[in-house]
Parts: sequence; C-alpha cells; structure tokens
Amino acid sequence: MTTQRTHIIGRGERRVDAFGKVTGKAKFAADYSLPHQLYGATLYAEHPHATITHIDTREAERLDGVFAVLTAKDIPGENAFGIVIKNQPVLACDIVRYYGDGVALVAAATREAAEAALALIRVEYAPLPVLTDPEEALLEGSVKIHGDSNIFVHHKVRKGDIENGFAEAEIVIEKKFKTQFIEHSALEPEAALAEPAEQGGIRITGSVQNLFSSRRSVAAALNLDLNKVQIVQATLGGSFGGKDEVMTALCCRAALLSLRTGRPVKMVNTREASMRESYKRHPYVLSYKWGAKNDGSITAMEITCIADGGAYASMSPFVTWRSVVQATGPYRCGNVKTDVYAVYTNNTYTGAMRGFGSPQVNFAIESMMDMLAEAVGKDPLELRLQNCFETGAETATGQTLDHHVSLSEVLTTAADAAQFSAHWKSFRGQTSGAKRRGIGLACSYRGVSLGAEGTDAAGTIVSVQTDGSVIVSSGITDMGQGAQTQMSQIAAEVLGIGMGRIQFLNTNTSRVPDSGPTVASRGTIMGGSAAKRGAEIVRSTMLKVGSHMTGEATGALDFRDEHLVRMSDGTHLATFAEVAAECFRRGLPMYGFGWFQSPKTSWDEERGQGEAYFTYVYGANIAEVEVDIETGKVDVLRFVAVHDVGRAINRSAVLGQFYGGVAMGLGYGLLESFDFEEGIPKQLNFDEYLIPTSLDVPPIRPVVIEHPDPAGPFGAKSIGEPANELAAPAIINAIANATGRRITELPATLERVLLGHALSRTGERGSQHKTSDESCKIRPAGL
Amino acid sequence: MKPFEYIAPRSLEETTALLARAGTDATILAGGTDLLVEMRRPNKMRKRVVVDISRVSELGGMITSDRSVVIRPLMTHARLQHSELLRIAAPLLASASAAIGSPQIRNRGTIGGNIMNAATCADTVPPLIALGATVTLRSAAGTREMPLSSLFLRPYQTIAAPDELLTEIRFPGLTADARSAFIKLGRRNALSISRLSVAAILRIGRDSRIAEARIVPGAAFPTWQRVTAAEALLLGERPSARLFAAAGACVSKEMILQTGRRWSTEYKEPVIAVLVRRALEQCAAPALPEDGK
Repeated sequence: MTTQRTHIIGRGERRVDAFGKVTGKAKFAADYSLPHQLYGATLYAEHPHATITHIDTREAERLDGVFAVLTAKDIPGENAFGIVIKNQPVLACDIVRYYGDGVALVAAATREAAEAALALIRVEYAPLPVLTDPEEALLEGSVKIHGDSNIFVHHKVRKGDIENGFAEAEIVIEKKFKTQFIEHSALEPEAALAEPAEQGGIRITGSVQNLFSSRRSVAAALNLDLNKVQIVQATLGGSFGGKDEVMTALCCRAALLSLRTGRPVKMVNTREASMRESYKRHPYVLSYKWGAKNDGSITAMEITCIADGGAYASMSPFVTWRSVVQATGPYRCGNVKTDVYAVYTNNTYTGAMRGFGSPQVNFAIESMMDMLAEAVGKDPLELRLQNCFETGAETATGQTLDHHVSLSEVLTTAADAAQFSAHWKSFRGQTSGAKRRGIGLACSYRGVSLGAEGTDAAGTIVSVQTDGSVIVSSGITDMGQGAQTQMSQIAAEVLGIGMGRIQFLNTNTSRVPDSGPTVASRGTIMGGSAAKRGAEIVRSTMLKVGSHMTGEATGALDFRDEHLVRMSDGTHLATFAEVAAECFRRGLPMYGFGWFQSPKTSWDEERGQGEAYFTYVYGANIAEVEVDIETGKVDVLRFVAVHDVGRAINRSAVLGQFYGGVAMGLGYGLLESFDFEEGIPKQLNFDEYLIPTSLDVPPIRPVVIEHPDPAGPFGAKSIGEPANELAAPAIINAIANATGRRITELPATLERVLLGHALSRTGERGSQHKTSDESCKIRPAGL
Repeated sequence: MKPFEYIAPRSLEETTALLARAGTDATILAGGTDLLVEMRRPNKMRKRVVVDISRVSELGGMITSDRSVVIRPLMTHARLQHSELLRIAAPLLASASAAIGSPQIRNRGTIGGNIMNAATCADTVPPLIALGATVTLRSAAGTREMPLSSLFLRPYQTIAAPDELLTEIRFPGLTADARSAFIKLGRRNALSISRLSVAAILRIGRDSRIAEARIVPGAAFPTWQRVTAAEALLLGERPSARLFAAAGACVSKEMILQTGRRWSTEYKEPVIAVLVRRALEQCAAPALPEDGK
C-alpha cells in the first residue's frame, strides 16, 4: 500500500485533551461529587487464603454516620465476574483467595466514618494453606484454589515434528527464565461515583478503561438490564491495562451501596488500597529449548511457559494466548512445540498490562537469540537478520505473512542508528575497569488488535453541527494514550477541517455502541477506522449538498482547509459551515455512524494453528548501558527505538508512546518487582515500589518507519504496546555484552548483576534467602 | 490520618515551653517529608500534638563563627546543596544534601529532620560525623551539647528527651589541605534510599603521607561511627590504590563484626569495601599514583 497524500494525518497536532489537563480543568473520577453523597470503603481480606467462618457487622452498623454495611449476601444478582471464566467475586462469599479480596462494604457520611466502621466489622477466618509458587501449583498434591486443578489455561502450538527438529540440530540451547509481578503504576488510582438513576438503575462516573465489560458485570451483579446501567468515563489518569477488573469490582461495589442507600456513593482507592487490590502483570516461568545448525539456522523450538494467574482467571486466558502465538519470536523454525499454562495461586490475580503476554516471552526469546549468536559465533544482528521473518514467511501458527514485513529494515535501521555491530564487538570481553559498557539488541513481531482472541469491532460517531463544528464520540476510550486525538485527526482529515472544530466526548455506555475493550493497541486501528467511516458518511452527504449549491459534480469537489473546493483549481466555493447549514436546511442528516469490524482471523485451539492476527507490527530496540561491576549498578546511557507503525496518525503521540514505552520497559528490566511474602504484598506505595525517575531514563532516539497497512485507517497500525515490550531484553542483552554474564531473572537488580542471584529479606532479621538463578546449559546435540 | 492538635509556635522559648507541657504526646514538624508519610500509615501515628517549628526564625540559617560552621536545624537540603560556604568548608555535606530525594523533597526536608529521624539511611549524618559535628539540644530546663555520634541509640531512636529540641549543628570547617568525598549507592538515580553510602575525609601532609583520615559509612552499621580501625591503617602511609582497598576491606570486616551476617551481607560485604576505596580515591585523586609505581 502506498502512502496516501494527506493534509493533517501525520502532523504532530496538539492533543485534544491537552489544555484541560495542563490547566487543571480536566475532571478525573475523584473530582466528581454530588449533593448528599456518601463515601464507600472496602474491607479487605486479612489472609491470602482462608475460609470466612463468621462476619458480624452489627457494631459497624450502629456507628454514627454509617448508612450501610454490606457483605456478599447483599448482592442481588451474580456475585462472579470474569471475561472468560467467571470466578471473581464482587465480595468474597465463603473463601478469600488473595490478600486484596473485598469482604465487606461500608457507606458513610464521611470518609473517616467509613474507615472507622471498617475497623468495627468482625470477620472470623479459618486460614487455609497458602499457595504462592506457580510451579508448585502444577503438582498433583498442591492446594487447590478453585475446583480440582490449578491449571485453568493450556494453550498449545504444534508445528512440524519437534523430535526431528532436535535430531537435525547441531547445537541445543536450554535455559530457564523467570519474570516478576509488576504494577501498572498509573498516576491516578481507581475511583468511581455511583448514583441511582431517575428511571431506575444506576449511573456511574468512573476511571474505567473497558466500560462495556464493566457494565456487563455491574448489570449482572445488580440484576439489571444493560440499558439501566450507564457508565460514563471520567478523564483517565493513565491505565496501561490496569483499570479493567479492579474497576469492575469498584463499580459493582459503589453501585450496590448506592442502590441500597438511595444516595450517590463515591469510592476512591488510596494508593495502598490500589496496590493491594489491583491485578498485576503475570510473572512467567519460561523454559526454552532451541535446536540449531552450526550456521545459526533454527531447527527446533520447544517452549513451556507457566503464568502465575493468581487468585482469579481474569484476562489470563487471553494474555497467555498472545504469549503462545508470539513465543517463538519473529524467527523461522519448522518444528515448534509450545505449551503455555496459566495456574491459580493465592498471589494477587494477574491480568492485562501493556504488552499483554509479550514482555515475558520477548525477554526469553531475545535472550535465547543472543545466546545462540554466542554459541555459533555470530553477531546478534547478523543472526537475527539470518532468521527473521520476511514478507511471505510462515509463522509458528502456520500463518503466511502477506503484508509488508519490515523487520529486517527495522533491525538494520536501529543497528545503524546505534552503530550496533561496531560497539558490540568493541565492548565484548572487556577485562579492565569497574565501569563496563555494553550494547544490546531486541526485536519483535506483534499481532495487532485482539486477533482470534475474540470479537473485534468498534464504532465511532461523527456528528457535524449546524454551524460546522463537529462532535465525535466512540466506544473506544482514551486513558491518556491519545485515542481521542487520533480519532479526531482522522475525522478532520476526511472532512477537510482543522482540529479546532472538533469536540470529543468521553465515552458513555448509553450513548455509543459496545466497541469491545480498549486494549491490545487497537484504539487507532479500530476506533480510527470507525471514525474514518463515520466521517466519510457525513462527507458524502455534504458533498452532495455542495454539488447542489454550486452546480459542480460531486466528483469534482472536495473539502479542504475548512472549505468546499473545486479540485481542479482549488477555488474555495463555500465554507464548511455554510455547507453544514445548508444540509440542515434541506433536512439531511449530518450524523455518521462508523462501524468497523476487523478482517477475519482463525484459530484451531487443539493444534494451535491459524491466522492468529489480521496484521502484525515490527520493532527493534537497542540499549547502551554502563555496568558498575563492583556494585552491580546499571545505568542506561543511550537508547534507540525503531517501530514500523504502519502510518503515524499523530507524530507527537507516536513519539510519546516510544518514550513512555521505553521508560516503562526500563523499569521492568532493572527496577520493578511487586513482591509478596506468603501471599502478602511487601510494598504498597512508591516509596518501596521503585519505578524509573527522569534521571534513570536515558536520551531516547526514536525512528518511525511507515509502511502503510491496508487494514488500518490511512495505513495506521499500532504502537502503544510494541513500544513497551522490548526495552527489558535489550537492556539485559547489553548487560551480558558488558559483563559476559547473563541475567535470567527480571529485574536486573544490584544483587543479581553483582552476585548472579537475588537476595530477599524473609521475615526474621539475620535470615538469608537466595533465589538461585538457573545456570545456563549449552551443549552439543545428542548429549 | 488520625486527628491531632496542631500548634505553630513563633519563638524558641515558646517551642520549648510547649514541648515541656506536651511531653511524649508531641511530635515535631519541620519539613514534614518523613512525618507526613508516617502519619498517613494506619495505626502508626500515636502523637496527639504536632508542633510545627517551621515558623521559628531562631532555628533557621547557617553562620560561621570562630572557624566553626553552625547550621540551624531548619536549613533545607536544597539550601545546603547550593551553599557557597559548604562548597569550601564541607563539600561532602553539600554532596550528601544533593543526593537526598528529589528537588521537591530537598526544598522541604531539613537537616534537623534528617538527623532527628535517625534512619540508618539518613544521608547527611555520615558527613556530619566525619566532620566531627556536635549538636545542641535545648529544653525549657536548659541546653546540652554532645558529639553527633553519641546522639543515636539505635535506628530511629536518639537520646533526646521528648521535651528536647535540636537547635544547632556545629562543626569545624575543613582546612584548605583536607579533601573530602561522599558516595551514595542507591537502586536508582533519584528519589533513592541509600543502599550504602560512605563519607570520607583525608588530609595529606607535605611529606605526601596521610596525616588524617576519617571514614564514616552509611546504612552499614546499626548507628553511625567512624571506622577507626580502617582510619588507623591509612595514617602515615602514602596514598595508593592497594592501601585504599585494604581500608575498604577493613571497613567491611568491621561491619560484619558489628552486624553479624544478615540477608543483605552477601551483597554489602564486597560493596562497602568498594565504596570506601572509591571515596578515598576521590579524596586523594590528584595525589594518587598508579598502584605499583
């Protein structure tokens, strides 16, 4: 697909939400209040796994200012939600399965009264054995969290013959990797304000990412029809995948309290409550075994991943599905056997987070690639170029990539920008000095949007007003990533107007169609495609009217620079506003409802074969680090990020995703770890949960590559998650280049870099605990 | 946050009188960077009265008198970090102040709070002890002065009585021939709690031999102290990488003698030795010959 000539697409237009946010006019969920509102609060479990034997709320109910104290028995409808497996309770009924389970709710006149009432609720527990190790969860005799097996997902990919593949191999590399829990760390913690609706039902204003799935759960918990549950999205202060199920629970709880008391109820999580309750990114245990020829071509990949799903199923079935599709990386291999499991434990449940099953496998894949390069004596770039997908390649799932596969261009662009190969050679085998330089490369392919995971369609409404101003709204939400700006820019392009004419409305479940969740980097490609269609409907009507007004054929007319123009000579024939007014006078609709359904995908669950995603994006990151080998401190000095985004709708927004993605990925690689001790979180705020500061993030050189894809609006694909999934392996590979030692467990803390393993405080002072990182096994085949 | 009474006295006299009355019920608020975090923790705040001393002008400022530097407790880390006086008289204290928290924390947090909170990771304390600082505590009943090193009982606990207020920190400025260094190791480059730190001062005589050495590690010992065994190794010797490495190893050994082997020892044992060596190398930088030459 060639790049279409455009006027506003591609420009770094100002975000539509920028002024509101920098002037403080933006209203986040916690900024909303209503007369007579009550404050809601949640009582959390005191044990990570226990039977609730008795709850006594009488004393709490008697406290002054308390209007309601509710437990699971007060839920009129279904006390279980979940996208695939419905096993997460709004309030725990007879068993608590993690330390963030809600047990009871309070609504009170003040926040202080609500807190005081929580302290008066007496809950008696009979503690159960606590299961925290996902590998132990697989064992026959382990404690069971739900039903009689802890394994609730097993995705497979089977291609070729794995035994033949290893028989052909001249080298076998086998390695075990581990990744950690991490927190989304959005600036804004969860908040919701529920109020009884005039005609029955409930209206909720909240920091909700996926309004339609939350609405389904609220309706089910309250026994209401979907049209009686209205969820209005407040301006969101970040989400990164983190405001789905935890917001569903908060919406259900606020709604329950509101309907019970007949009053508006506001619930705002403190940071501590948010960290205690909210789901995390899945930790994975990844066992990778690759067979290769001495020339570096890969003959077999055998991969087993165990994802710690924590207490509830949540998004695990989908997260791990992306892992199974992408577990081989963008490399050709005829014989693949991949198994990805998700298991229950009593850790905090895990779910969607920017990357969604790719950061974990990318860490293993890209580490393996560098180890293979080392084993066959090639430079990491050379080995990747030798093995990587080109246009027409067949993936592990048997899908032929018939779009333009730009991976080798992305790789070489990144390598040139960072002078990768020269640096990599010169940094190898340093033997002197405490500060050692290293450079590391990582690349990936990533399926765009939901893929064969589920129904994939979205709607956007473009409504031109009689004065030529425009209102756009969509079922796709903006969490700060810029979806509203992208969709506005697309509508502006189609209508030939400036961004200043467009007003974007926050999503409201009762006014826009269910467009699925805003996840999987699908905002621009799905919402944007729908915006394009919506705008085209209106444009077509307006062109017809323009034709009547001017006597010119519609085909000779265009909208440009806020005018109706004659294409042949660019003459302005009427203003956009004049044509809008004329449409209205003639009684014609200026309302365009755009609906976009993704191209077809397919999946055979048994063999793990199919057209997993309708298109893919390609990216490469290069990190240059300095490792202090006497202290284990790693500083990232420079960074290059290259992504083929299809087409950049808004260049500034794309670069913003690059920068933010790298910063988050750096935290994943070097700093962040949400740790538990026997199921109890060790840290509940940013004093101990360390994310990178501006002084930890290096200058980042972004390179945007554009190969427009026919599936996307103006050729646009995705960037939100691709930007975040490569920094950690690039940094880990750079550390290996600097030190000659490979980190196999994230994050690369001071201790892991210096000692090769982590140290952790285990309760008693003086006690010592080593987490032994697996040693590397490289051996000739056949041994 | 539990309810509390808030009082903001305007003078030192008023403050000590208030503290005498309130006794153990009172806590002192200066910059608030530690106290406010602590007060938000459920079940942590047991004090009923918060005495905000930030408006007591007698507790602010810094002067030199009689070759001594006198710092009043309300001096913020930001002011110490940028102080021209400290750049000459105690550059290691300016460095330590600059290493604390973030600009926002340095703008509010005070040196008095850093000392009296007595966290083992307090960054200004190792330099002050290396400088030989003394502190003055004042109550309605009178004042007492003591070396800073004897103020601390254990982590988060000083010998100050509930009615006593830190009013002054005093130390002799470094002489022109003294060199100093402060090194901090944290997990990230800002807003970082010291994993380990080292303050060091060296004076090298005309004969190119070490005439004076002071080494104070941070976040390594239960309370801060000069490591005299390591200092003794250095005295009378010519600076060399090997000598400094030996001093580092000695500090490491002393640390284990005092703390025993703990979960973090495997890491701290080699790293404190490295940091001590580096701090000494930094002090001796212009004078340090290549090892073995």
